Amino acid sequence: MERKSFLKSLMIGAVTSSIVAEACQKDSIATSTSSSGSTTTGGTSVINGSCSVAPTETEGPFPTKSPASYVRSDITDGRTGYKLAVNIFLVNSNNSCNALPGALVDIWHCDAQGNYSEYGGSGLQSTNYTSVHFLRGRQTTDSNGAVAFTSIFPGWYSGRATHIHVHVYNSSGTSLKVTQIAFPEGSGTAVAAVNGYSKGLSGYTYNASDNVFGDGYALELATVTGNTTDGFVLNITFAVPA
Amino acid sequence: MRIITLSYRKIIDITAQKPWEKLVYDDSYLEFKIQAQNFTIGTDHTTYAQLIQNIPAAKKLGGMVSASVSGYIQQLNNIVPDILNNLGRRFIKFDKYQFEIINSDILDIGKHQVAINFFSGPMIWHDTVDNMLLVSEYRAAHAGNETLTYLFTIQPYVNIHSLKNTY
Repeated sequence: MERKSFLKSLMIGAVTSSIVAEACQKDSIATSTSSSGSTTTGGTSVINGSCSVAPTETEGPFPTKSPASYVRSDITDGRTGYKLAVNIFLVNSNNSCNALPGALVDIWHCDAQGNYSEYGGSGLQSTNYTSVHFLRGRQTTDSNGAVAFTSIFPGWYSGRATHIHVHVYNSSGTSLKVTQIAFPEGSGTAVAAVNGYSKGLSGYTYNASDNVFGDGYALELATVTGNTTDGFVLNITFAVPA
Repeated sequence: MRIITLSYRKIIDITAQKPWEKLVYDDSYLEFKIQAQNFTIGTDHTTYAQLIQNIPAAKKLGGMVSASVSGYIQQLNNIVPDILNNLGRRFIKFDKYQFEIINSDILDIGKHQVAINFFSGPMIWHDTVDNMLLVSEYRAAHAGNETLTYLFTIQPYVNIHSLKNTY
């Protein structure tokens, strides 16, 4: 088993390691002259009797640390809908409910039509990943335990009340809490004002019959203010054990 | 005339040495750990293989984790890394790529192994010289004119991804 993985690492090394390639430069005498087939000589892959040319280029480009494309505050990605500011505050239930700084907060929700962004499946991807991951974002809580996103008011789909998914991680990426944000409903609420966009609310699943919120949602219920002209503002505080 | 596209499957594992590869490795592992928890919570699964065998929705993980490397792909400026022509220069332009998780384990970074598949734009395969292919970038407007060409050897993890004969 160990030998197998050692051999495997040699094969990979032949492609990626500049040290290996250096051992087989054009102006040095080739180490192998086998006339056909592929052989492995001391970690150097030799194909059809000749070795691959070593890189002879100006060094660079020099890579720089780049965050995941989820890390952004505006997650709208051109999706149309009523503007929604999402303000989430985290407190630490293991620390006297004081603010929880430095936590990663992922949110995602559906668009006005009730669709989520696709992950692309097995097809070829274009390089523009921001449009692939629309309405998904990540922020790190500040010293007040707060994160802020700009998005659109979510639409709805069959079987679920309006909701936003939230996943909270500590700074090293360990899950602290998976939850969802529920929206107030009834006359005068944002859900009523948005009225399901073009769909209306016929067949809408209200919180009480929702399979996630149906067993109680008091701690997941956000405060939502605003109107369809100026947009809406959502505030919610979650206590998580950290 | 044979028009081909080339693909290169760049495998990155724990032995990665170059800065770009290490950044891709570490950041894709962190993102895998983060995203895998959407599926592992409440189960005993820790590996990618267990997840995709037992939880159909976990197939999304490749796409979910790909967001962690897209910034690094952009830093390549659309030139396929590692693959050199006979002058020792990188020469394959790509505009499509696909990120792939081969193996991983939320408890063991050593098991993490990913690949980035790069796909070239269309190229003309003019001839085969010795053990090398003579190719040029396909530009329909240049038909009949002098064309700049590249000689290169097919290397491990490089494939002729597609081929079209035009007469």
